Amino acid sequence: MRRRSSLPVTFLVPTLAILLVLSMVPTLYAIVIALQNRELSSSDYSWVWLSNFIDLFLDRRFLNAVWVSVKWEIVTVVATMVVAIGLGVLMFEVASPRLRNIYCLLFIIPVLLPRVSAAFVWKFAYHPLYGIATYPYRLITGGLIFDPLSKPSTALFAVASVDVWQWGLFFAVIVLKLLETLPPQPIEAARLDHAKRWQIHAYVTLPMLKAPLISLMFVKMIESLRSFDLIYVMTRGGPGVATETLDMYAFSQGFIESGKVSYASAMAVLMMIATVITFTMLWKRVQA
Amino acid sequence: MRPHRTRLGLIIGKTILAFAGFMAVFPLAWTALNSLKNNVDIITRVPRLVFSPTFDNIRYIIGRDSVMTGLYNSVIACCCAVLIGVVLGLPAAYTVARYPNRFAGDIQFFVLSLRFLPPVAVAIPLMVIWLQIGLYDTLPALIVTYSLLTISVIMWLAIPAFQAVPKEIEEAAFVDGYGAYSVFWRIALPVAARSLIGAVAFSFVLVWNEFLIALMLSSSNAKTLPIVASELSQQGMNVPWGILNASVVLLSLPPLLFLGVLSGFLNSVFRQKKT
Repeated sequence: MRRRSSLPVTFLVPTLAILLVLSMVPTLYAIVIALQNRELSSSDYSWVWLSNFIDLFLDRRFLNAVWVSVKWEIVTVVATMVVAIGLGVLMFEVASPRLRNIYCLLFIIPVLLPRVSAAFVWKFAYHPLYGIATYPYRLITGGLIFDPLSKPSTALFAVASVDVWQWGLFFAVIVLKLLETLPPQPIEAARLDHAKRWQIHAYVTLPMLKAPLISLMFVKMIESLRSFDLIYVMTRGGPGVATETLDMYAFSQGFIESGKVSYASAMAVLMMIATVITFTMLWKRVQA
Repeated sequence: MRPHRTRLGLIIGKTILAFAGFMAVFPLAWTALNSLKNNVDIITRVPRLVFSPTFDNIRYIIGRDSVMTGLYNSVIACCCAVLIGVVLGLPAAYTVARYPNRFAGDIQFFVLSLRFLPPVAVAIPLMVIWLQIGLYDTLPALIVTYSLLTISVIMWLAIPAFQAVPKEIEEAAFVDGYGAYSVFWRIALPVAARSLIGAVAFSFVLVWNEFLIALMLSSSNAKTLPIVASELSQQGMNVPWGILNASVVLLSLPPLLFLGVLSGFLNSVFRQKKT
């Protein structure tokens, strides 16, 4: 009965066609632009083929941006997973069902906020003179000034903390829900064997959740690529180039500093190739 | 000795949790409080909890043209993009879930892989394209671009929602003489509605919060609320902090309206997994 209907064609083909057009046109056009020397200020251009890419590899600021992006990716993914698993297990162990519901609701709030809002809330909280987050430091040291966003050594971590604030708390809720889906028997058995609470989680429950936890990490890796809004509002890539990730550098090359659209596009193409290859490989492995 | 230690552990654990819960809401609550303060009460070395509240900041924000235009643009762009996502995404998701074919896995991967694309890589070429067509800095350009986001996210979340509908109900409807389309309309959609509303709400929050694409595709007319808010915050250090805080509160309210829907959606996703 299902087979003979026209439904699959009318429901699926238009949508897929539109998705294909909407995604392939910009993607292919990005490659075309990257092979030319377009600038925002003028309308004429010529083909320069690979010279943008060669310039990129000689550009020390680009190499710095690659390094900052890698650091950002590692710091945010690891910290998010640690916070999520830690708080998720804690909720599972010490909170009553009613408290769990309340915490779940509270922990979802930060991730719902627009990144611009979250960035601004924390930018002001980190303000060296009037910020609420730096207030304890001023109180203890008797008025010394600590400005986490303008020190090269702390800026990246200060911005990353906002990302972890949003995603770590949210993922804690998911870790709790995952723990709640586990059958109680293995936990009981471990308890009868006098295993300590942390041992039960380290050796029984978390290994049972290995597959969903890896998927969760995968989602966070993808979301961590979208760091632009946080960094744009909080530091604009500064101080110096300490928090300049690839998308921030591409944006400032293309739009703020020089309007070199082609150069920026070459960077975007490299990012695209790197992420598509990495995530396709990871995805196939997660599915296998 | 042992029970004593576990009780201590319990207290420590509860304290950490309570602190985390406090951290989750306090920064936002503080911002909301600051939006009711005069500048003198904000710029203090010691944070001030007691102050005489003022509504000037909120009044200023609501009275400002740029903010209202941003709000209007955001609402129109998000609602249109979500509507397109629903109209195109839900039927496609239903087909992938219910009409098995060789490409189902590939389609799902394709839809997910759209999420891998770095936003800059989409925004730069689209900016050039919209400039050439003459649609740069208009709402239609923004809506079309956002549709890519909403269609793919709604599809991605709706496929499992449709799969969770018991097959027997649909089979029974076929036996009763319903056609394929009316099974979708009358059976699958209503039964899966709760999860689908969650998926749609999620896609709304995603485009409402979107920043980079909106920043690159607008220069004056089509600016969305996040862009307007970020411009307010770039005005150096002598900014009227109260006004800034008020604009952040305005920007954050719509996604928070969906808090209940989305946490219910999360619960239903994991209840399905259990069974």
